[in-house]
Amino acid sequence: MLLHIGAFQLDVNSQGVSSWHRLAPRTRVLCAILFVFATALTPNARWETWLVYGGGLMSLIVSSRATLSILLKRVAIESSFIGVVLLGTLFREGGTVLWQWGWLQITSEGLVILGSVTVRALLCLLMLNFLVLTTSISALLHALATLKMPPLLIAILASMYRYIGVLIEEFATMRRAAASRNLLNSPRGQRLVLGNMMGSLFIRTYERGERVHYAMLSRGYTGLPCVTEDFQRRSQDIWAIVSLILLLLLGQVVYFL
Amino acid sequence: MGDLSSLIFWSGLHGVLFPQLALHIPDGFLSLPVSLVTWVMAIALIATALGRVKGEHQERTVPLMGVCAAFIFAAQMINFPIPGGTSGHLLGGTLAGVLLGPWAGTLVMTVVFIVQAALFQDGGLTVLGANIFNMGLIGTFGGYYLYKALRSTLGFNSWRGMSIAVAIASWTSVVLASVATALQLAISGTVSLTVALIAMLGWHILIGIGEAIITLIATSYVWRVRPDLLYDPPQRSPLPRPLVQR
Repeated sequence: MLLHIGAFQLDVNSQGVSSWHRLAPRTRVLCAILFVFATALTPNARWETWLVYGGGLMSLIVSSRATLSILLKRVAIESSFIGVVLLGTLFREGGTVLWQWGWLQITSEGLVILGSVTVRALLCLLMLNFLVLTTSISALLHALATLKMPPLLIAILASMYRYIGVLIEEFATMRRAAASRNLLNSPRGQRLVLGNMMGSLFIRTYERGERVHYAMLSRGYTGLPCVTEDFQRRSQDIWAIVSLILLLLLGQVVYFL
Repeated sequence: MGDLSSLIFWSGLHGVLFPQLALHIPDGFLSLPVSLVTWVMAIALIATALGRVKGEHQERTVPLMGVCAAFIFAAQMINFPIPGGTSGHLLGGTLAGVLLGPWAGTLVMTVVFIVQAALFQDGGLTVLGANIFNMGLIGTFGGYYLYKALRSTLGFNSWRGMSIAVAIASWTSVVLASVATALQLAISGTVSLTVALIAMLGWHILIGIGEAIITLIATSYVWRVRPDLLYDPPQRSPLPRPLVQR
């Protein structure tokens, strides 16, 4: 799969040299999925478990020499949602009351939930961002295909990824045209122009889809996306999965010690 | 695109994709049972939608669904002012349903959520099922059938029936999706039900107004220019008023 028309480069560190980079993309995706599911589905207040997971993830990130500044910046931007839980913490009952002001109160139980949800979300964000940072998108899609995701869905995903950049560019062009004609002055005008823009972009998109379809047909497309299966099982991939599972189990066991 | 410019673009993209109290639930917010149940429903939904769309569009499926998903993705990034001072962005569920039909619309929305979760971490992986359930099934599928029922009762071929149906359906779909999100957060024990409902509803009743206005304007453009592209095209004269006001 060649996805060279992508508009943004997410995989800044995909050309690195480390044992993580030497793993097949399929193994990396599998590791990330296992890690995220294990982390996100661990019940509240299992701090030791997350300490083990976080330690494992940190050593992985450091050993693969990913650009930490980019990784942390992305995670920071994506962490704005924590406000929801923060808000919920202020109104929660149960446990001992640590702080109270009118209706607002902070209880020990509220803090535990806030901490647990934050740690879980941060660990998952770190893992997934690390995966996207170190693996190119074509490799990711190919890995998903070898992991038995429906080929039709993969083909749609790939085709969408190709055109995101094109459509964002087209939107920006229309917006510039509207702004240069002083059409975006009042909020009402903005809504009208942006709404019409979306309608017109949909018509262009639909027509583009038909043109793309004819172009694909003329190149011998028969309706079935082809997925090349060139994955071979290597010992390092098996070792990676096994050691990850051991780490995940260790994390769960530590809690009961 | 160079590293720096792509990063600037990328972080700008995120600022836009992430409004406060968004409907995209991140990882770690939902408990195991809630994740599991919504995943099972989401997988069933994706499988059915893939089958239906494949049957309907044949070998046009890949290019058409691909560009339409990219369209929804791009449309979701546009910030527009909402009456009342704030700004919001489109969810696009009802828009996708009205333009592409329930199955293709749901599939397109699902593809958008998968890309947002897998590449942009906008919404988590373990909660992808819940996000697809909230915004794909309730937002798109529910939105489409509400729109269709309203349009049939109010006058299928008149712009009046169409406009009222589109506006009500898109507002309701956003609000219902936010209620579903609040319920899932509450069942998981992350936020108490009243707080979740007040926060989610209070914000999305407002967001829904913006959604309704933009969806209405976008569909009115398609209705006037290319009514044949609508999933349920009107039968009679498609020009209720001239495009340019004289």
